[in-house]
Amino acid sequence: MKRRWPLQRLKRLLIGLVVLGALGFLAVLGYAFWPTHTRAIAAPASAADAALIERGRYLALAGDCTACHTAPGGKPFAGGLALASPIGAIYSTNITPDRRTGIGGYSLDQFDRALRHGIRADGASLYPAMPFPSYARLTDEDVRALYAYFLHGVVPVAQADRSPDIPWPLSMRWPLALWRKTFAPSPDAVAFDPKRYPDERVARGAYLVQGAGHCGSCHTPRALTLQERALDESGAQYLAGNQIIDGWNAINLRGNPADGLGRWSEQDIVETLRTGRNPHAAVVGSPMADVTVHSMQHLADADLHAIAAYLKTLPPVPGAGPGFAANDATAKALQAGINDSRGAELYVDNCAGCHRTDAKGYSRVFPAIAGNPTVLAREPDSLVRLILGGSSMPATVAAPSALGMPGFGWRLGDAEVAALASYLRSQWGNQAPPVASGLVARIRAEMPGENHASEEAAHAR
Amino acid sequence: MPDDPSFTSRRRFLQWSAVAVPALAAAGAPASGQAPSADDRPTFFSASEWAFLRAAAARLIPADALGPGALEAGVPEFIDRQMATPWAEGRLWYMQGPFVPDAPPTLGWQMRLTPRDVYRLGIAAADGWTQDRHGRVFAELDPAAQDGVLQAFESGKARFEQVPAAIFFAMLLGNVREGFFSDPVHGGNRGLAGWKLIGFPGARADFMDWVERDVAYPLPPVSLSGQRG
Repeated sequence: MKRRWPLQRLKRLLIGLVVLGALGFLAVLGYAFWPTHTRAIAAPASAADAALIERGRYLALAGDCTACHTAPGGKPFAGGLALASPIGAIYSTNITPDRRTGIGGYSLDQFDRALRHGIRADGASLYPAMPFPSYARLTDEDVRALYAYFLHGVVPVAQADRSPDIPWPLSMRWPLALWRKTFAPSPDAVAFDPKRYPDERVARGAYLVQGAGHCGSCHTPRALTLQERALDESGAQYLAGNQIIDGWNAINLRGNPADGLGRWSEQDIVETLRTGRNPHAAVVGSPMADVTVHSMQHLADADLHAIAAYLKTLPPVPGAGPGFAANDATAKALQAGINDSRGAELYVDNCAGCHRTDAKGYSRVFPAIAGNPTVLAREPDSLVRLILGGSSMPATVAAPSALGMPGFGWRLGDAEVAALASYLRSQWGNQAPPVASGLVARIRAEMPGENHASEEAAHAR
Repeated sequence: MPDDPSFTSRRRFLQWSAVAVPALAAAGAPASGQAPSADDRPTFFSASEWAFLRAAAARLIPADALGPGALEAGVPEFIDRQMATPWAEGRLWYMQGPFVPDAPPTLGWQMRLTPRDVYRLGIAAADGWTQDRHGRVFAELDPAAQDGVLQAFESGKARFEQVPAAIFFAMLLGNVREGFFSDPVHGGNRGLAGWKLIGFPGARADFMDWVERDVAYPLPPVSLSGQRG
C-alpha cells in the first residue's frame, strides 16, 4: 500500500525547497560579491627611483610577464594575446603605463590587488590565467619594484583591451570571485619566510620558483577545480609534473631519479635554464623553450644556482613510478647488428644516427635517451609529439644554435610510433610503461589544428 | 695502393657482398612481389611506348639468380615519373644553339630534343626499325632477339631518322640504372632490390658503429620512406 502525500504538504515542501535554494544562491552571491579587503602597502619614497625600476625590470623577466602580455608581433606588454579556454578565448591585458588603455592610472595598491590578489581596479576578479596565487608570495618591496618598472620603465602603448570571446552567461565574473576566495592564498598568509629553508641560497631559489617564476603554474598537477595541488614544498605534489601544456608534458622537477631531476646536478639545471640544454638532456617543446628564451636565460648566475639548489631539495614523489638503472645490454645488441623487435628496427633506422645505439647521443647536441625524464615521464605525450613533429632547442645568448629534431610523423604510422616510443621507454635501463597507438592517433589528430592561441594558453595556466 | 687498409677492407666488403647479396636478395625476393601500381597506367607513355619500355627494361637489367630485374623493381614507373620532371622538358639545360653534334661530351647536350622528345621519337623509331627487320615490334620479340636489337641501338648500327639510336639507347640505359638504384620513394628500386643487389645500406644516416671493426655490415637497406629491404 502506497501512502499518498497530502497535496498541502507537497506544496509546502516545494515552496520550502525553492526558498532554501534561493537563500543558498543569495548566500553564494553574497560571498562572491563581498569585497575583499587588502592591506594597503606603503609607497616608496620615489617610484621613479632608477634602482627600484631596474629591480622591477629584473623581476618582470623572472616572472616572464611578456609571455602572456606581449602578443606575437605586438608591442611589449600591450596585451592582446589570445589564451584559449574551453569556453572561449580570453585576451591578455595592456599593462603598459598608458593612462587610458593600460595601467597608467593604477595606484600602487590597485596594482598590488591585481598582482597578488587577482582583483581588477573595478573590483572584478581576474581569470586565474594570471598566476596571482603564485605572485601572492612576492614581498611588498618587490611589488613596489614591479609597479615602478611598469609605470616608469615601460613605454606606454595605447591599445584597448579586448573582451573575452566567452559568451554570456559564462562570461559573468562573479564565479571567478568564488574560485579566488576559495583557492587563492592571501599574500599575508603565505608571506615568504626565508627561515623555513636551510640557507639563504635555497631560500632565494624557493622565492623565485614559487613566486615570480610561478613554475608550478605548469609543473604542479592541478585539481579538478583547477587550483594547483600545492603552492610550495609543503605538498608532495608540488612541481610533480605530468601536466600537458600545449600538448607538451611539463616534466616532474622533483628528485625522482627517472622521470624527475634526481640524477641531474645543480649545474645541469643551471645550464638548462641558461642555454636550453645540458650534457645529457635538452628543453623539449615550445612552452619551456619560450620560458628559457624570454625569461630564465636572462637571470643572474646566482639566481639560477639558487633555483637549482632549491629544486634539488625537493624529494621524489612517493610511490612507484618510472625507473632507470643504466644497462648496456640494448647497446651491445644493437652494436652487434641484432634488431630483434620492430622497435629496435625503427630505432636503428630513424634515431640511432644522432642519438647513437648507446642512446647517449652527443653531449649538448643530441640529447641522451637513456635516463631522460622527457622519455621516461609518466605521461608520454612529449615523447610522442616529439617523434611525430620534432622540436627545436631554444636559441639562447649563451648557446645560439637552435638545434632541431625533424618530425617522423610523415614516415611512421601510429603503431610504429607506439612501438618505437615503447622501445625507448624500456631499453638501456629505462623503465616506463609502454605507449598505446591510440594515444599516438589522438596526438597526431591534435597536431594539424594547433594554433598560436591554444599554444599560448598554457603559459597562463 | 693495395697496402692501403681502406682499399683492402673495401675489397673485402665487395667480396663479401658478392656472397651475401644474392643470399639477401633471395631472402627478400618473396617480400618484393608487391602489386605494380602504375605499371598499367603510365601518365606520359602511350600503351605501345609502355610495352617497349617494359620490355627494354627487362632486358637491360634482367631478373636472374641475383634477384629481381628492372621490370620487377618498378623501373618503367620511375621513368614515367621522370617524364614529369623539369629535366624531361630540358628545363635544366641550355637548350639554344649552336648545336654541335660532334662536340666533346664535356660541352653538354647538343640536341634540340628534350628527353621527352628523345623517348617519344626514339621509341617510335626503335619499334619501326624492329618491325622492318623482324616483322614485329620490340616487345613481341623473344629475349635473345631483343638483346640483338638493343646491341644494334647501342652501337649505332641501327639508323634512326630523328634521334641517333646510340643517344636514345644511352639515355634509356642511364634512366634504367637510375630507376634501379635510386630511392624507392621515386617509384623504382621496389623492395630495395637494387640496393640489396649491391649491398648499399640506404638512408640510415650514420654508420659509426661499424667503422674500423672489419666486419660485414649486417643490416638490410632502408628507404627514405622508412621501408626496410
